[in-house]
Amino acid sequence: MSKLNEVKEMVQKGRTKKIAGVVQEALDAGADAQEILDAMVDTMGDVGDAFSRDEIFVPEMLIAAKAMKLGLEVIEPQLASGAGEKLGKCIIGTVEGDLHDIGKNLVAMMIKSSGFDVIDMGVDVPVDTFIEKIKENPDVKVVAFSGLLTTTMPALKASVEAAKNCDVGNFKVLVGGAPVTEEYADEIGADGYAQDAGSAVTVAKELIASL
Amino acid sequence: MLSIKENFLETLKRGNPDRYVNQYEFVKLLMHPYWTATPPATPGGPPVVNPWGVTISFPEGMPGPFPIHDEEHIVVKDVTKWKDVVKAPATSYSEEDWAPFVEEMEAIDRNEFFVAPFIAPGIFEQTHYLLEIQNCLMAFYEEPEAMHELIAYITEFELAYAEDICKHLKPNALFHHDDWGTQKSTFLSPDMFNEFFLDPYKKVYQRYRDLGVELIIHHSDSYAATLVPSMIEMGIDVWQGVMSTNNVPELIEKYGDDIIFMGGIDSSKIDKPDWTAEETLKIVEDVCRAAGKRAFIPCNTMGGPESMYPGAYDAVTEAIKVVSKKMF
Repeated sequence: MSKLNEVKEMVQKGRTKKIAGVVQEALDAGADAQEILDAMVDTMGDVGDAFSRDEIFVPEMLIAAKAMKLGLEVIEPQLASGAGEKLGKCIIGTVEGDLHDIGKNLVAMMIKSSGFDVIDMGVDVPVDTFIEKIKENPDVKVVAFSGLLTTTMPALKASVEAAKNCDVGNFKVLVGGAPVTEEYADEIGADGYAQDAGSAVTVAKELIASL
Repeated sequence: MLSIKENFLETLKRGNPDRYVNQYEFVKLLMHPYWTATPPATPGGPPVVNPWGVTISFPEGMPGPFPIHDEEHIVVKDVTKWKDVVKAPATSYSEEDWAPFVEEMEAIDRNEFFVAPFIAPGIFEQTHYLLEIQNCLMAFYEEPEAMHELIAYITEFELAYAEDICKHLKPNALFHHDDWGTQKSTFLSPDMFNEFFLDPYKKVYQRYRDLGVELIIHHSDSYAATLVPSMIEMGIDVWQGVMSTNNVPELIEKYGDDIIFMGGIDSSKIDKPDWTAEETLKIVEDVCRAAGKRAFIPCNTMGGPESMYPGAYDAVTEAIKVVSKKMF
């Protein structure tokens, strides 16, 4: 097996204790840091797809993302720009009144793994705090809101409306969360809807392509 | 007309109930000294540290309490060192501590109702309360031996406390919480779930049976369809909280001989600020007609006889009465 394929396997299987060594071996064997990064990003894409198909579960996603993060730490000093290709900034958070974080965290991890700079606002984020962060980052490309409770869907709507009306920069709004549907996303004026963490990357990339 | 308990027992034995068992009508849930030794967080109240050392908050408007998991508050930061920081609560309380619960228990008419202690959080929930959920889910891969040890320790606590609960409350049922999934999926693959949780739960539920409990009700308001065979193996009689995402009619068809499905009426659809009796009735009727009468108890998926919004639970109760008259 080539060293690059070994790196891919380490990410896919979430071998957090071995990946740093394998990535270093790949570098020592002459692999380019960007090439290793691309292999890891591709593998995380496959992991996200498998999650969307219900073939793997949250632990497998988390452990793969952690493995990639550890692999990235090895190659980061050799990447010209510090982290390879950049797709732009993504501000993400769970809306006010909602403390659920795991779905939002999975989306943040997947989006980060695909090449976005992620600004994670955490959970229970008031609308005004989102808007302040957007104003601090006028070059933001995607603003992603998560809501897991039916009781916080009004907060999701308010967050989307405020973001769309804040008159800063040029970005797209992505929403998701268990009670959210594509129909509801359209109704509240979001630009995109992600059904799960795997598809969030695809949707985010489509959204920035339309900017 | 059958009594509430007779009607439940007919449903349980797949006999001839004369109406739907209506939500939690057949069971009285009892608290116990674990809940009063350290009063739980209340909606809008300050955070509290629970008997396991986990800091819990319950912000106003949330459907339930949440553990606080910033770096300062995570109890187990390194699962390989869990023994240094995890100390199970007492399982032995004084007769004085038990007295109010015993009094409440003695007032229940057992000819009409089952008596069930309320146990929460469950073993899986306890692990992620202690570790933080993402760290916990990764630990099943990274440190499986430590996770097995921690789960065995939590299980020992449950087994020991079961003795005291049954000695004082003499329950004939058990209502045990443990959410095993999100609305769309289980947290763990069925294989991983079985590796870590099947045997512990078999032990706990068998211990309660050995101590006189006849009916095991397990609450998980989530997707968990793929875990039903494991539930049956554990000895669960009733899965309460089964959400519509599980395809309840299909589950009844496949497993209705071995387990009762209690739920089907998603809390998110009926427990909202703008609920109406008309809409609730339509939702309940649709759910009941799809599920049928066998091995099914229509119920709000909430983990207790209550709702977040006043009147929403009672509206479901009234709707089930109406639908029962049409279908029985």
